[in-house]
Amino acid sequence: MTKPIDLLQGTLDMLILKAVSLGPLHGYGVLLRIQQISKDRLEIQQGSLYPALYRLEHQGWIASEWGESENKRKAKYYRLTAAGKRRFQAETEKWNRMADMIAGILNTTPEEV
Amino acid sequence: MTLWSRMHSWARTILQRSRVESEMDTELRFHMEARAEDLIRSGVPCVVALRRARLEFGGVESAKEECREASGASFIENLLQDIRFGSRILRKSLGFTAVAVLTLAVGIGASAAVFSLVNAILLKPLPYPDSNRIVLPELVSPPGVSLGSEYFPWGQSQFRMLTRDAHPFQTVAAFQNDSFNLTGSGEPVFLDGFRASAEFFPSLGISPALGRAFAAEEDQPGHEYEVIISDRLWRERFGADRNILGRAVELNGYAYTVVGVMPEGFAFPRAEEMPSSFNFPAEPQLWVPLAIPAEPKPGPSELALIGRLKPGVTIAQSQAAMDLITKHAETQDHRWIGWFNTRVVPLQRQVVGDTRHPLQLMLGAVCIVLLIACSNVANLLLTRSLARRREFTLRAALGAGRARLIRQLLTESLLIALAAGAAGILIANAGIYFVKMLGPANLPRLREVKLDLPVLAFALGVSLVTGVLFGLAPAIGAARENLVDSLREGSQRSGGSRMTPRLRNALLVSQVALALVLVVSAGLLTRTFFRLLGADRGFNAERVLTFQLPLPALKYAEQNQIVTLFQNMLERLRAIPGVQSAGIGETVPMSGEGESTVIRIPDHPAASLKETPFANFTVISPGFFAAVGTPLLRGRDFQETDTTDSMPVAIVNKAMERKYWPNEGALGKQVGPGSTRFPLLTIVGIVPDVKHTSLREESAPEMYVLYNQKPWPSMLNMHVALRTKADPAGITEGVRDAVHGIDPDLPLAKVATLTTLVDDSMAQPRFSVFLLGSFGILALLLASIGMYGVISYSVLQRTQEIGIRIALGAQRRMVFGMVLGQGARLTGLGIAIGIVAALGVTRVMASFLYGVRPTDPLTFAAVSLLLLGIVLLACYLPARRAMRVDPMVALKYE
Repeated sequence: MTKPIDLLQGTLDMLILKAVSLGPLHGYGVLLRIQQISKDRLEIQQGSLYPALYRLEHQGWIASEWGESENKRKAKYYRLTAAGKRRFQAETEKWNRMADMIAGILNTTPEEV
Repeated sequence: MTLWSRMHSWARTILQRSRVESEMDTELRFHMEARAEDLIRSGVPCVVALRRARLEFGGVESAKEECREASGASFIENLLQDIRFGSRILRKSLGFTAVAVLTLAVGIGASAAVFSLVNAILLKPLPYPDSNRIVLPELVSPPGVSLGSEYFPWGQSQFRMLTRDAHPFQTVAAFQNDSFNLTGSGEPVFLDGFRASAEFFPSLGISPALGRAFAAEEDQPGHEYEVIISDRLWRERFGADRNILGRAVELNGYAYTVVGVMPEGFAFPRAEEMPSSFNFPAEPQLWVPLAIPAEPKPGPSELALIGRLKPGVTIAQSQAAMDLITKHAETQDHRWIGWFNTRVVPLQRQVVGDTRHPLQLMLGAVCIVLLIACSNVANLLLTRSLARRREFTLRAALGAGRARLIRQLLTESLLIALAAGAAGILIANAGIYFVKMLGPANLPRLREVKLDLPVLAFALGVSLVTGVLFGLAPAIGAARENLVDSLREGSQRSGGSRMTPRLRNALLVSQVALALVLVVSAGLLTRTFFRLLGADRGFNAERVLTFQLPLPALKYAEQNQIVTLFQNMLERLRAIPGVQSAGIGETVPMSGEGESTVIRIPDHPAASLKETPFANFTVISPGFFAAVGTPLLRGRDFQETDTTDSMPVAIVNKAMERKYWPNEGALGKQVGPGSTRFPLLTIVGIVPDVKHTSLREESAPEMYVLYNQKPWPSMLNMHVALRTKADPAGITEGVRDAVHGIDPDLPLAKVATLTTLVDDSMAQPRFSVFLLGSFGILALLLASIGMYGVISYSVLQRTQEIGIRIALGAQRRMVFGMVLGQGARLTGLGIAIGIVAALGVTRVMASFLYGVRPTDPLTFAAVSLLLLGIVLLACYLPARRAMRVDPMVALKYE
């Protein structure tokens, strides 16, 4: 098992949006979902998850409502809003362009210069 | 990011704070319990699972804080905290707060009061439905022709032409003023009213509150004996009787049926809303049908028109349509050519009339007061922020961001501004009360002035803007502070940053300059006022009683009846003990414009239309000049020996002589009314120019003719003037008895002393002087408070330096001079800048001035000296304090 890597600054929001885009989740569920998708390779500070959720909700990308958890307990569920969906698509596109570009730069060989 | 979601979460944060908190608790607890259950499932012992979960989570409280911040709570929290802290700080330094709030409240209150005037008079639509569609079609003199007045009365046939062809108008109506003698029920009263055609009320869009408007068939000769009365007349004369409809009242000897009562406050047209040359009554009390025949005979008539434009028709379109009609008229009848010039004026503009400029002047003046108040408070805050440097340094050192510090300072200034706004509204309310009490009666729409929503909104807006304005300077100053330096310096005494004294001095200099501009303007207006009072008015107002004597046309149909009446009356009036002289005249001084008429001068026949001679044509009796105190300059007065059979004579004023006989003199020359049906008169005397409407008017040519030499105008509406030996008020009863002794049905209208008439005519200039003078005094007061504050503070700052100077042997007198010199330098600079600014500003004021130039050196010098004196007085106290500094104490202090 490889050592988990720390999250890049600013990427947590995107991961949360991705997680809730697959279906409504409570806060702990978001954590589990991200860990599951990343196959436990990402280390997320649990304490930093909630401020991010609150910020995204304040900005209107996600919305919350109270529901019942799988073990019959009251839990707050988050889902993606229409504005959040557009935002997520834009962010994804930006991220992919950025990643391609950086990968291109890093893979440059001396011959290509 | 959507605005809505932000608002929503802010609202939740504020309104449901405890619920948000408990939800946050539940959510986090759920997280940790769920994690603990997972841990247990993975084999961690029950006892330690929850603890492990908590440890993994990290700091719960800091996470919560971050959550609150993320959901916008911190913004609200900080604001509330700033407000709490700010108001605590302001409460702690009550003296400072009181001065700042009061200074600003005066500025805001004064400007809100002036705004209430501007709003009611200039901005608010008239109180008629769709009032922007109401227009006055006016008939004006041909371009280049001056006939005394710019306006011509409309003729009946012209009005008929318009009603037939005027397509831009939905309705168009004619009206003319008339006076009515109401008899039958109690003491006869003389009432001002209007004869108006049927479309008059529909054009205004107002219907009677009780009863109905005139029907079209009532607006025809023979059917016009219907009357609509004002709410006031209904209450005062008829006891607000709701059964008044259908009742007959006697007006000028005819029986009229009351068909309607107008709503409260309706009195269109009031004199102040119409061109002054129309000589309309101050407040009409009744309206009767005008009844123009279907085929009017050509001839003189005195109509004014009012119209309501069809929806969507612009002023320009209606003007174009009117031009078409007049063009057509000119092709039909060559006599119209050159004399049919119309102008369509929106009623709103006519009502506002000449008051726009004085109001703009007031608005400018009050803005200056507000600016001075603002810069004063800015200076106070600046000084105080220096004293609070340690506090801010400490807060910055503890981690407060620059933005947070600026926000704290701005919150404080806004708190001051809002408190000042609230106090300012009280001041504005008092101001409005005084303005309504002292305001000139001829200021249009004065009765509509009140503290209403727009004025409140204005006061609030001004408070917020000024709060940011004067709060910004000290806030930026504080934010620029260098942390380390300020902490090291520590003491409040040492210099402060280099920028702030410069800023404070600049504010002070601008205060002085602004105050100078304002006080110079007030000074020029005051000089104008006294110049007007001292102007050559052509009469002597002391101890003169005047009244109007409207005669019923039925009873006095023949001119010789009237002559006999006047002869008897003059005899009786002169016999009253205490009466020195008595005379009758068509107008008395200051009672309104005279009738301007075309005349003929055989010596100088008019070569063209533009040179048509004209003059005010005034019928008087012998003794009139003696009664109003007009001296004969040359020639002789009218005498009892001038009769119907003797040579027809005239007396002219100086303006007339100067205009028509500039070189040869007018005595002995011949002049007559424009129509050759009337005989020529020989000029036997020259009198000074008598002012008719205001003391500042440019006198027009005027000729006086004798009442018993078959003059051409009717004499149904003459004035009587009595010069008395003592106070004229004492003889009023005797006069009434004398008049009623001849004819008990004659009403005495508008009984007044000549002094009152002069006073009334000065109401508007007096009001301007009063307002501008008050603003000037305020400006002086504020500027000297500002100077006192800055100089005292600088003396406090320099205590140590002054102590050293004195210890080294400086004369105390020199120290005194040094402080005064500092004030004098700033004041001098302010005065210099102010003079330059005032020279620009007063040029715009030229139209308000009379007998004094906008650059009047005397006013400028006097105001500069006054300002210098007052400001130096404000420096005197701190300078004396500086002189008394004890070097030992000053040096030990550090």
